[in-house]
Amino acid sequence: MTGIEQRAVCGGVNFRSIRDDRFKTVRLSVHFLWPLTEQTVSPNAVIPFLLTRASRKYPDFTLLNEHLASLYGAVLDADVEKLGDVQVLSVSASGIADRYALNGESISSELSKLLCSMIFDPLLDGGYFPEDGFEQEKRQMCELIDSEFNDKRIYAKLRCEERMCAGEPYGIGRCGTKESVRSLKREDLTQAWSNLIHKAHVEIMILGNCNPSAVYDDFYAAFHNLGRTDTVECPIRVVPSAAKPRRCSDAMNLAQSKLVLGFRTACAEPEEGVPAVKLFNALYGATPNSKLFLNVREKLSLCYYCSSQYNPIKGILLVQSGVETQNIERAQKEILVQLEEIKKGAFTDEELQAAKLSLENSYRTLSDSLDGLEGWYLSQTFSHPIRRPEEEAALVNAVTRDEVVAAAQKLSLDTIYCLTGSGAET
Amino acid sequence: MDLIKEVKSERLGDKYYEIKHPSGLKIFVYPKERNNSTYAVFGTRYGSIDNCFRVNGETHRVPAGIAHYLEHKLFESADGDAFARYAKTGASANAYTSFDMTCFLFSCTENVYDSLEILLDFVQSPYFTEQTVQKEQGIIGQEIKMYEDDPQWRVLFNLLESLYRTHPVKTDIAGTVESIAQITPELLYECYHTFYNLNNMVLSIAGDVDLDRILQLCDRMLKPSKPVAVERIFDPEPDEIVKTRADQKLSVATPLFELGFKEPVSAVRPSAGQIAETEILLEVLASPASPLYRRLLDAELINEASFGNEYFEGPGYASVIFSGESKDPDAVAGEIVKEIESLRKGEIGREAFARAKKAVYGRNVAALNDVGSIANSMVSLTFAGRELFSYIDAIAEADIPSVMKRLEIQMRPERASLSVVHPA
Repeated sequence: MTGIEQRAVCGGVNFRSIRDDRFKTVRLSVHFLWPLTEQTVSPNAVIPFLLTRASRKYPDFTLLNEHLASLYGAVLDADVEKLGDVQVLSVSASGIADRYALNGESISSELSKLLCSMIFDPLLDGGYFPEDGFEQEKRQMCELIDSEFNDKRIYAKLRCEERMCAGEPYGIGRCGTKESVRSLKREDLTQAWSNLIHKAHVEIMILGNCNPSAVYDDFYAAFHNLGRTDTVECPIRVVPSAAKPRRCSDAMNLAQSKLVLGFRTACAEPEEGVPAVKLFNALYGATPNSKLFLNVREKLSLCYYCSSQYNPIKGILLVQSGVETQNIERAQKEILVQLEEIKKGAFTDEELQAAKLSLENSYRTLSDSLDGLEGWYLSQTFSHPIRRPEEEAALVNAVTRDEVVAAAQKLSLDTIYCLTGSGAET
Repeated sequence: MDLIKEVKSERLGDKYYEIKHPSGLKIFVYPKERNNSTYAVFGTRYGSIDNCFRVNGETHRVPAGIAHYLEHKLFESADGDAFARYAKTGASANAYTSFDMTCFLFSCTENVYDSLEILLDFVQSPYFTEQTVQKEQGIIGQEIKMYEDDPQWRVLFNLLESLYRTHPVKTDIAGTVESIAQITPELLYECYHTFYNLNNMVLSIAGDVDLDRILQLCDRMLKPSKPVAVERIFDPEPDEIVKTRADQKLSVATPLFELGFKEPVSAVRPSAGQIAETEILLEVLASPASPLYRRLLDAELINEASFGNEYFEGPGYASVIFSGESKDPDAVAGEIVKEIESLRKGEIGREAFARAKKAVYGRNVAALNDVGSIANSMVSLTFAGRELFSYIDAIAEADIPSVMKRLEIQMRPERASLSVVHPA
C-alpha cells in the first residue's frame, strides 16, 4: 500500500510526497491554483510555458534542452487545467531514478534545483519576460487553442461546457480565448507570475523513486524567501439544478455529428454524496457494461461511442456520443430513457455490483502510475481530509441501491449541444 | 513439459519468463512486485494488412477491415458477451487492431486468474451469426465516420497512399463502409481459423502474479492446435514513392502535416540495433535540443505541443515520419530535408551523440514503469523478431558510425512525400 506524506511549506503551500521504489522514475510537480476570471485566465495560462522555456541559469532554450537530454531525457513540462471554477497552472519535471543512471548521476536532486530555479528565478529583461520568448509562447498558446478545435470530440465537449456554464467561471476556457491571448502585454505577465508565486494556493507533489526530504528543503527555502502573507480564496460554485433544458448547436462540414448532453448533479466535492454519483455514473455510462453502452451502442447500433463522465469538482455530468445526423433524436431519446430506468430503480444487483467492481479497479490502478497518483491527489485539493484512492474505492463500495436512485433523481438536464455535420466530407 | 526460460537485465534489475507452451503458444510473464494491477494481452500476428493469403494451396482475398471486424465480433459468444463476464471480475477490458496484429487485453487489480480465464476462453471461442455480424455494421460504420473527421488520422493515411503503391498499409485499418458490407460469418470463420492459431499468437502478462498458477490455467484452457502454414501474399512494392504531395481540406484551424521518407525493405525486418540507431538518429536530428528544432521554432514554423517524429515500421513497410501543425508545412519540409542532407555530408558531434543516446535510453527505461506498456511491447517485439532487454542494451551500445550508416538508406529526399490537411 502506498503511503502519502504531507507537510505544509508555509500558509497556502502544501507539500505531498509518495516515495516508492517500484517506479523507475521520479516526478516533481508544482501546481498553482487561482480562481478563473476573464482578466487573469490568459496571463496566468502563459506563465507555466514561459517558466519552462528559460531561466536565469539556463537563458537559452537549446542549452536548457541539451541539459535535459543529458539528464537521460528528463522532461520539463507546463500545463493548464481547470479544477471546477479554479485554474490550475502546473510546472513539472520528470526523469529516471538515480539507480538507472549509467554514470552514477543524481538526477532527482538536479531536477529539484532546476525546477526551483525555473519557477523562482526566471529570465527577466528589465523586469519583464524577454520579448522573443513572450511572443513565442503567445503564438503557441493560440495554436494550442486551435488544436482543440481540430479534435471534434473534444471541441463538442468544450462547447457544451462553455454554453452550459456561461456566466460561471467554469464557462471560461482553460487558456481564455485567442483574442485575450493575442492582446497580452509583457507587463501583464510579470504581474501574473508574481501573483502566482506570492498568493496562489500551491500544491507541490514529489512522487516515485526518490527521497523527498532534499526536495522539501529546496522548496521550503524558496517559498520562505518570498515572505508570503495571504493566499487567494478558490471558491467553487455548484449550480443545484437546471431550469428548462436549453438547446444549442453548431453546423460544420463533418461526416459524423456529435451530441453532448450536460446535466447538473447537485452534488460536488467535498459533499458526502459524491461516491453515490460516481457509482451512478459508472452504472449509467462509464463502462462497456453500462446502460448507455449496452443500449445506445450495442442494442440500437447507433454509435461507436456513447459514454458519461462525472466532474465531481464542479458537480456536472456530460454524456457524449458520435452519431449520424439523422439519428441524433433517437440517440438523445434513448440516453434519456436509460436515465429514467435508473431513476425508477430498474437495474439489477449484478449491474450495481459490476459498477462497483469497475470503479474499485480503476481507483486501485491509479496507484500504479505517477500520473494517476498526481491527478488523483490534485483532485483531492478541496477534500478535507484528503482520501487515498483505496479509501475512495471503499466509500463507493458502501453506496446502496437507494443512494444511487436518489443520485439519479437529483440529475437535471441543463444543455443539449449538437455539433451537426452535413454527413459528407469535402 | 513447459520450457521456461528466465531472461534477465543486469542493467535494469528486471527479469521476465518466456515459456514455450506445448499448445504452441508463446507466453511471457514479467513480474512486477507490489503492483496493484496486472495487465494481460493475448495477441495474434494478424492485422489489417493480411488481406491476401494462401492456406493449403488455396489463395484467399478478403475484404479490407476484416481483422478489425473480427476483433469486434470475438467479444460475443453463444452464451453472451465477454464484457458481461468481465463485469463480474471488475477487469477493465479492451482490444485493438493494428496493421500487423490484433490484441485482446485486460487490466485488473482483483480476480486476476478469473479474468485471465475469460480472456483465454473467449478468444478461443468464435461465434458468428448473420444477425450478430449485421448488428456490427452500424457500430463500425460510425467508427469509420469518426475517423473520416479526424485530421490526424486523415493526414497519416493520405501520406501512406502517397508512399505505398500496392502495400495494404495504405488502407484504413477499419476498412470502408463498402468493404465491411461484404463481410459474412463464413469469411470471419475462415480468417479466424487461419490466423487465430496458438502457434501464431502470444500471451503476455505483467504484474504481481504467480507463474505456476498462470501456467496451470494455461494448461487447462489452451486448446492445442497444429501449426497452420500460412503464406501472406503481398503484391510487389516498388522502392519509389507514388507521389510527392497529398492535400485535403477539413474542418481544422491550423494546417497539419506529415512528411514521410519511404525506405526499401527486405523480408527480414530491421534488428533491435538498427531500430535503436534510428531512434538515436532522430533524437540528434529533431529533438528539442537540436539546431533544427530551434530554427523551426524561431521561424514560428512549428509548435512544441505537436512537432514530433516516429519510425513507422512493419512487415513490408518502413518510413521515417515527421509530423506537426504549421502555418507553412512546405517550409518545414524544406528545412528538414536540408538538415538531413547536411548531416549526411557531415558527422554527428560527439557531445550531441552522447546526449541523444542518454535521452533515448532514459525514455525507454521510463516506459518500463507501466505494466500495460511492458505487456504490449513484449507482444509487438516478438512478432517483429526483437527482444525487450536487448533493445535497451542496443541503445547503450550504439556508436556514431552505426548511426550514420542508417542514413545510407533512411530519409532519402527522392523518396519523400508531404501530406497536408488544410483548413476548409
